[in-house]
Amino acid sequence: MTEQEVIDKTNKVFEESFEIEKERLVPEANIFVDLGLDSLDIVDLIVALQSSFGVKIRNEEKVRDIRTLQDLYQFISSIKNDDGVKNG
Amino acid sequence: MISRFNLYLLNLYFYTLFVLLSATVIPILTVYVVCLGLLIPSRRRTMKRFRRAISWYGRVIIACPYPFIKLRYENAVKNDPEGPYIIICNHRSASDAYLMGILPHELVQIVNIWPFRIPVLGIYAKLAGYLNIRMIPTEEFMQSASELLKDGVSIIFFPEGTRSTTNKMGSFHGSAFRLALETKAAIVPLCISGSENIPPKGSPLLRPGIITIRRMPAIAWSEYKDLTAFALKNRVWKIMDHELSVMES
Repeated sequence: MTEQEVIDKTNKVFEESFEIEKERLVPEANIFVDLGLDSLDIVDLIVALQSSFGVKIRNEEKVRDIRTLQDLYQFISSIKNDDGVKNG
Repeated sequence: MISRFNLYLLNLYFYTLFVLLSATVIPILTVYVVCLGLLIPSRRRTMKRFRRAISWYGRVIIACPYPFIKLRYENAVKNDPEGPYIIICNHRSASDAYLMGILPHELVQIVNIWPFRIPVLGIYAKLAGYLNIRMIPTEEFMQSASELLKDGVSIIFFPEGTRSTTNKMGSFHGSAFRLALETKAAIVPLCISGSENIPPKGSPLLRPGIITIRRMPAIAWSEYKDLTAFALKNRVWKIMDHELSVMES
């Protein structure tokens, strides 16, 4: 999966599940401060991302470090790549 | 525009009445609730009476400053889904909690820490089963709130969490909407306009004016079930923001 595909798919989750306007979905946007999600919304976000990307996201250290959309894109790319390596 | 002197006079009038009526009405209501509680000892009924007593007290207090401050309750809604409801209310003034006395339902308000610290009223709030969202863990809060709804008690949220300093609503916290998704209760947006100066945040002085409370049509679970709590809270925020601008245009 290319980096752009990860970005598009992640943004789609924010647009469809959270009804956040496309224009606000910039890589430097802070998920909590700029997009307004709270810690409990993150649970909904993880569920939506899991079903969209078909991956399992565990409550690990890396998830807790995510602050911006860019962090999230990188995190998803890394688990997608890990998945690809395992399946390959 | 009211002169400074008249403003002080109005507030002297209001606060004197407030103290006198509180000193009369609260003991009377307490005797009423306690006596009935002794005659018919049921915890559920006693709590219902405490909630009703708070409502009556609220009605008495909001009637005090009439005709300087008038209250208008608008409810043109017909065919709403059956209650209990999760009532979502904007928050501009310390008087908002008293204004809820105008609603016809059995109610519990979700409050911050400070209302529990008000002498006498804090005890009433506890006895009526008001929930302090800051003092109890989320899971316990959800369970207590779900039980209230199951019991037929409507719940009032001020999801901005604090009074807004301008007429623009602050962003909403998500608990009310998570509770709605979990319990399938209908959501009633309730818009309050005109309370921002009665009294304004940071001052005890009430200004004369008209407060309008507009109850909007309930949003049934079938209408919001596919949304996340985040999307739901933003949708309700937009509905209320639009209605408030209509009310104030």
